[in-house]
Amino acid sequence: MKLYAPHVGHLEGLEELLTGSSDIYGVYMAGTPDYVGTGRTNLSAPGLEEIAEQTRYAHEKGVKMEVVLNSSCMGGQHLTSEGYNRINWYFKQLNNIGVDAITVAEPYFIEMLSKDFDMEVVVSVLSFVDSPQKAEFYEGLGADTIVIDPVINRAFDKLEAIRDAVSCDLKLLVNEGCLYQCPLRYAHFNFFSHANGPGPKLNVLDDYYYYKCLSLRIKDPQQLIKSPWIRPEDLKEYKHITDTFKIGGRTHFPNWILNNVHAYANESYEGNLMDLLDCPRDLRDLYYIPNKELEGAISQWKQCGKVCNKCGYCKRLAEKIIKVYSTENGENILKPLKVEGGQ
Amino acid sequence: MTITEILAKNRGDLENNLRSLLAKPVFIIEMDVFALPCGCKGVTVNTRGLQYDDLEIFEEHINGYLKKTSENLEIESSFLFARLVPGTAEIASLNSRVLCNRCYMDFSRGSGKKPRPDIYILNFERRE
Repeated sequence: MKLYAPHVGHLEGLEELLTGSSDIYGVYMAGTPDYVGTGRTNLSAPGLEEIAEQTRYAHEKGVKMEVVLNSSCMGGQHLTSEGYNRINWYFKQLNNIGVDAITVAEPYFIEMLSKDFDMEVVVSVLSFVDSPQKAEFYEGLGADTIVIDPVINRAFDKLEAIRDAVSCDLKLLVNEGCLYQCPLRYAHFNFFSHANGPGPKLNVLDDYYYYKCLSLRIKDPQQLIKSPWIRPEDLKEYKHITDTFKIGGRTHFPNWILNNVHAYANESYEGNLMDLLDCPRDLRDLYYIPNKELEGAISQWKQCGKVCNKCGYCKRLAEKIIKVYSTENGENILKPLKVEGGQ
Repeated sequence: MTITEILAKNRGDLENNLRSLLAKPVFIIEMDVFALPCGCKGVTVNTRGLQYDDLEIFEEHINGYLKKTSENLEIESSFLFARLVPGTAEIASLNSRVLCNRCYMDFSRGSGKKPRPDIYILNFERRE
C-alpha cells in the first residue's frame, strides 16, 4: 500500500511525522499562495528554500514530496501573460528543487506541467473526477495520477469503470467527511481558493459554507454516515481499484496525522470514527461514532442505489450507533442520539 | 471554582438548555469572556446548529438562558444579542456585552432589533 500523509508545512512538523511512522510513502503540503493558491486552508506558506530543505529531508527518509497547488479558481490570472510567466517560473523552481509531484485542479496547469516538466502530475480531488469520461479527459491532458472525487468512494461501478478507462495511477482520499453530494462544495472550494491564493485578499465576515455544513449535520446526523469516507478496515475492498490512498488533513497536528497513518496502515481503528475525519473536525467533540460498529456497512453501500428516501439504511444506522457528547455535572458523557433530539 | 471551571459549567448548562428546548444537538463550540480596548466587556457564546427560526420562535426562552448565563459569569446582562450570518438562517454566536460609552451610542441610536444586518438584539437596557 502507498499511503500519502498531509504535512503542515514546516520542517519540525515533517521531522515529527517521518520519525513517527515508517508507513508513509509520500507527504504533501501547500506551497506559497503568491503564485497558485490551494482549495483548502493551510497552516503555513513555505517559501522555496523551505520547500527545498523539506524535500531533501523527505528524500533522505525515502519519502516522496508532493506540493499541492489545487486552487479551483484562479480568477483567470493564469491566462494573462504576467500570470502565466509567474506561475511557469514557480513550477520551474519546484522542478529544480526536486519536488516529486505537483497536485493541481486547473486543467491548464495539468497540460502545462505534463508538457514542460518532469514532476509527476496529479489531478486534485478538486477537479471532481467522478466518471470514466472525465478521467480519460485528464489522462489525455497528461495526468500521471488522478485523485478521484470522494463523492464516488462508495460507487464501485464508477470506480471500476474509471479503473478500466485509464492507465494512469489512481488515488483515493479516505477520510474526507464532506456531505454526500454537497451543494456547497464548489462554492466553498472556490472561496478557499481565493482566500488562500494570490489575492486580492478578502475581508470575510464568516465562512458561511462551514457554518451551514455543520448545521446540516446537527439537524440531520445521518449525513455523517452518508459522507463517503472509507474506514481503515474497508481499504481491502478497494485494492482492485488502487493501492494508493491519501489521508486528508493538512491543518491538523502531526499527532492527529500519525493517528490516522497508524489506523490506515494497520487497516484498523478502535474508537471514534470522527477522530479520523479531516472535516468537519469540530464535530468530533459533538458526535461519537464507534468505528467498529460500522463493520459490514460497506456491503450495503457496495450495492446501494443512493436513493436515500427509499432506502433509509444510513438513517437507521445513525440512530443505532451515533452518540452525542453532553455535559452532566461537569463531566463529559455520551448520550444516545434520540435522547438529544438528533433525528 | 476557577474562572475556567465556571465557564465550562456554564457552557455545558447553556448547551443542555438549548438542546432540551430545540430538540436538536445544538453545539456550543466555544464560550469566551472578553475585554476590548474600547472598554466593552462580556461573553461570546459561539454556536453551531442554532438558527434564526429557533430564535424567532423561542426568543423569550433563549433570552432567559443567555441572561442567566451572563449573570452566572457576573456579567451585567444589559445588552444581549445574537450575531447572524447576514442573509442566512445561521446564527454565529450569542453575546452578552457591557457596552462602553462610545459603543453604547452606536447601539442606542436606533430602535429596531437589527441595527446591523448581522446583529439581532435580544435585550437592550437603555441608560438614563
